[in-house]
Amino acid sequence: MQAETAAAHVPALEAHWGGGASPFGATWQKTMMWIFIVTDGLLFSGLLCGYGFLRHVSPVPWPRQSEVFSIPFIALMTFILITSSMTMGTAVTAARLGDRKRALNNLVFTIVGGLCFLGCQAYEWSHLIHEGARLTGNPWGPPQFTQAFFVLTGFHGSHVFSGLVILIITAIRTGMSKTPAQGIEMAGLYWHFVDLVWVFIFTLFYLL
Amino acid sequence: MSVTTGNPYRIYRITWVILLLITVAMLAAEAFHLPRIFLIVFLLAFMMVKATMIGGNFMHLRYERRSLALVVAAGILVTSLILYSFISREFRYITERLSQ
Repeated sequence: MQAETAAAHVPALEAHWGGGASPFGATWQKTMMWIFIVTDGLLFSGLLCGYGFLRHVSPVPWPRQSEVFSIPFIALMTFILITSSMTMGTAVTAARLGDRKRALNNLVFTIVGGLCFLGCQAYEWSHLIHEGARLTGNPWGPPQFTQAFFVLTGFHGSHVFSGLVILIITAIRTGMSKTPAQGIEMAGLYWHFVDLVWVFIFTLFYLL
Repeated sequence: MSVTTGNPYRIYRITWVILLLITVAMLAAEAFHLPRIFLIVFLLAFMMVKATMIGGNFMHLRYERRSLALVVAAGILVTSLILYSFISREFRYITERLSQ
């Protein structure tokens, strides 16, 4: 009986996990991109778990974020990133539909959004450093607070920066009609991932 | 990837508006100083809604095969729990060693 049940599952398992050209019904480029996104997501997951634990065991009261950061300014950064994700999605679909001009325009909007976000982050960092925030300590309480801040936002900012480099290269190549629609889709997946990570950092670090 | 009929860009605009509304609601909840437990539940629930909308609509996971979406979502969630347990265990081990 068990052997029959196992035999009945074999075709279904092969259909999903049997490998071949497209084990998830996606191209190998997209599958590899998703594998990369999952592994990169685990990096941020580890950082956020570490932050949560450090905060949980901190012997000194954790500072109120609204007294350290300008929450409206952080909200502006969130608005910029969400808007850039919308333009990126539009660029991906336009490329799929063969509308190269719209794809290129929206890629440029996305790049401008990314640059604005990085500018805001540079301003936030310089402002906090000016107020005494360091990796080794800060005026607001536990040193783990600024350690978590610099590591989390620093890693995220480096991802935004690398995403911008990818987008600029993609935009230039799209302008020269050298990027296939799938190339823009891959760049888009990475950019949306950067937005996705910010959703978690915004909630867990800045609001909670 | 299958694209919906009608205006193919509409989904991104709708998602954008909903994400902004959710963000405003989260900021309002933080500003009105809700009881801590309500604030945590409220913000975490909205965070997951936002993540699902970005993954589903912007990253097109809703159009992909379900196995891919499961690998991405369940993989990260389950591994996060394992990571947290490892981090807490290792942290306690290190602090005990340092205090000896």
